[in-house]
Amino acid sequence: MTSTTVQRHRAPVVDAAAHRPGLGAALSWESRKLRSQLRTKALLVGAVLAPLAVVVIVHSQPRPPKDTLFGRFATDNGFAMALLVLGFASQWVLPLLTAVVAGDIFASEDQHGTWKTVLTRSTSRSTLFWAKTAVAVAFALVTLALLAASTIAASWLVVGHQPLTGLSGQVVPAHTALALVAGAWASMALPIIGFTCLALLFSVWSRNAAVGIAAPVVLGLVMQLVGALGGIETLRPFLLSTPFEAWHGLLAAPRFTGPLLDSLVTSAGWSVVCLTAAYLILRRRDITGG
Amino acid sequence: MQTPPHTALAVEAVDVTKRYGDLVAVDHLSLSVAPGEVYGILGPNGAGKTTFLRMLFGLIRPDSGTVRVFGRTWADSGVGVLDGVAGFIESPRFYPYLTGRQNLEGLALLDGGDRGSRSRRIEGVLDVVDLAGREGDKVAGYSYGMRQRLGVAASLLRDPRLLVLDEPANGLDPGGIRDMRALVTRLADSGLTVLLSSHHMDEVEEICDNVTIMARGQVAFHGSIGDLRAMAPDPGHLLSTSDDALAVALAREQHPDIAVETDPEGGLVAIGSRERLSAYVADLVRADLELRQFTPTQTPLEALFFMLTDTRTDTRTGTRSAKGAGR
Amino acid sequence: MRRSIISVVLALVAVVAVSGAVLAGTGGGSSVTQARLERSLPTEFANLYSQQARLLGHQGVTPASLQAEAMCDKGGAVEDNVGPGSNWNCLVSWTDPNNPMPPEGYGKFELDVHSNGCYTASGPSKLVGFQTITDRRGAEVTNPVYEFDGCFDPQGDNTPTGVEFPSLVQVTTTALQPSDDGTVSLQLSCGTGVAGCQGTVDAKAGDTDLGTVPFTIPEEQTATVHFPTPVPAGADSVDFTVTVTKGVSSKGPGVPATTTLTLPAG
Repeated sequence: MTSTTVQRHRAPVVDAAAHRPGLGAALSWESRKLRSQLRTKALLVGAVLAPLAVVVIVHSQPRPPKDTLFGRFATDNGFAMALLVLGFASQWVLPLLTAVVAGDIFASEDQHGTWKTVLTRSTSRSTLFWAKTAVAVAFALVTLALLAASTIAASWLVVGHQPLTGLSGQVVPAHTALALVAGAWASMALPIIGFTCLALLFSVWSRNAAVGIAAPVVLGLVMQLVGALGGIETLRPFLLSTPFEAWHGLLAAPRFTGPLLDSLVTSAGWSVVCLTAAYLILRRRDITGG
Repeated sequence: MQTPPHTALAVEAVDVTKRYGDLVAVDHLSLSVAPGEVYGILGPNGAGKTTFLRMLFGLIRPDSGTVRVFGRTWADSGVGVLDGVAGFIESPRFYPYLTGRQNLEGLALLDGGDRGSRSRRIEGVLDVVDLAGREGDKVAGYSYGMRQRLGVAASLLRDPRLLVLDEPANGLDPGGIRDMRALVTRLADSGLTVLLSSHHMDEVEEICDNVTIMARGQVAFHGSIGDLRAMAPDPGHLLSTSDDALAVALAREQHPDIAVETDPEGGLVAIGSRERLSAYVADLVRADLELRQFTPTQTPLEALFFMLTDTRTDTRTGTRSAKGAGR
Repeated sequence: MRRSIISVVLALVAVVAVSGAVLAGTGGGSSVTQARLERSLPTEFANLYSQQARLLGHQGVTPASLQAEAMCDKGGAVEDNVGPGSNWNCLVSWTDPNNPMPPEGYGKFELDVHSNGCYTASGPSKLVGFQTITDRRGAEVTNPVYEFDGCFDPQGDNTPTGVEFPSLVQVTTTALQPSDDGTVSLQLSCGTGVAGCQGTVDAKAGDTDLGTVPFTIPEEQTATVHFPTPVPAGADSVDFTVTVTKGVSSKGPGVPATTTLTLPAG
């Protein structure tokens, strides 16, 4: 061991304070970590390739899958195919996609015992919390965008772009249909952010990546089940699975956007509650492991 | 109330307590570390050393009491408390899927500062801890000793005025321990304030100016290594002769100031000052006894350490009776 | 791990508790209502039916010209017309010169309605055709109105549409089986519609009048009408004339419908 740099260590305190890193540094660090993980790359590649495979397989079926909305047109209409994949993805694929990253992002620090490593630098818990949250949300949105683009492109190329029969029996010309299908996919952003925040909460709370990933998906399925039951439909506006169906109004004539507004309120409510709880838990937590 | 940073103590803990349910991990601990000092916290595992260091770093919040670092507290300065402070707690941990250099780069990001100086400093600290050449490997493939050294590198990256090292030699092989001690000594010699925790007396004895010995969350001794030496008991020696009975008799008759007892595991144990033992041994030889073994049992400080920490363990009955010897 | 399980259980308990509280506070209303279906279904049907007309090459059919309207009912008289379920029935009437309505004036659609406001409707095949139809170029294509999906606005107009159709009274007995004393019974069904069915059945075996028996049947139920006079020996069939005062017979409003059933030999 040589001792070249050991001699200079009297860094003035004021200097350190002046250079205290902001959210940007933490964001840069968190996204760098995310990008170097294999699972991130696998998810992004999957989001591009899986829709292609699904579209090709569904298209080759002799009978269209009629039990999902737009399924009956899926084998001969590309827009219907893209909406069928959307309906299917929103059941559990979208919550899972975001939870794989968001459910792990806090818990992995516990798994690797690295909380004490990062929290003994000059970045506060709050800064790290918001950096991780922002990175998880950004990842969810990027994944959704890739999935949507890939699905729409694959459906267009494999099945075609004929005029679409909407949910009020109206015929929607191809260019309008494309915009509406893209809009329907875009409306997934709200519940996906909600599920991301839910996964973040589980990640902070359980300190266990498996729980962080599985719990939001299971909870999503439970909410879907509860939402489908008759007699307790007043619960529907409070369920995070309901916003996944808000796009239906876009494909009706006349269009209705009330559910999209509800979706905004519901998703924002879940996000705020989950993030607040996660933030408080992390702030108050004693880091004893690692 | 708050002292300006430049005149403040490096570390000042006042009446710090942390409980986990019924277990009192740290029990009304007070200590102060002056700037430039090399300070040891000694204690067996579970004594509360690590819990205290975690409170210093803000990883754990004390139930009561305050910890000041260069005059700042977590309550008033937040993460600013850690300006000029670096170190690691228990074994340093890194992201196994990143390389050593990537880990350091990330931590440097979290330290702030500009990009150019960060990269230069990383080269420097890698050199210091002898990891240059391995920095491109994933940490997953590092040995325990390499991770320990990467931990030191990550700490030096912060250009600390206070370096906190928790059991830095833990888990290292003898060569690694030697290197680590040499490094700590060199860092200490460079004028850094070092707070070192250990459960080995000899590790602390060599380099520390002052020590706190902890047991069961409480202070068992508090003071300088000199004070500690003065308190140390006479060294014990294992003794074996051609006629142990005669040797015992000789001690009783001519050397009342040393104690010679039969050791249950065979041979004799002689306790007394060095000079008096030498005189006794000379008398044994003069009495034509053949000296077969004469070896020290423990170093005096080790003996004292065990005495301090064990006694406390034995006499403790849940009351906070005796506070540390130095209080 | 135990900690994690506790977390999940706590989360589920919290969800159930909140759900319970919300339910208790609101009483469990549903956005799936009769009025919303009665607005959504005819609109969609009219759009799809004019698609079908284009496929078949029928002229002069537009969504507006069909003047489609519907009356929907869930589970007959015993259930409130609200909430999701696969037991919704909608009576739809429309005007197509190429394809006149049956005497009762409507066709019955069966709907499976989901809580999200989407439904799958199956049309009456005798009115709308089967799953595939032959288009004007001779190709087999999917019939757009045989079965279709639609969604209504869960916050849409919920004022009653006022569309009402009478229940259809039908004879469901296909083979007469006289009892030991020589008397016969007839089974009648009352279909979906407003206010149930009422009327009389007159039975004649040759020249012998077996009696006129009144009936009152709730919506979507069946009833058996018993005739007190035994069938005379040698008669080989019985004519039943159903006169409907509330509801509609299979011959149309106010028109008595006669069904002839043969008696078993011997």
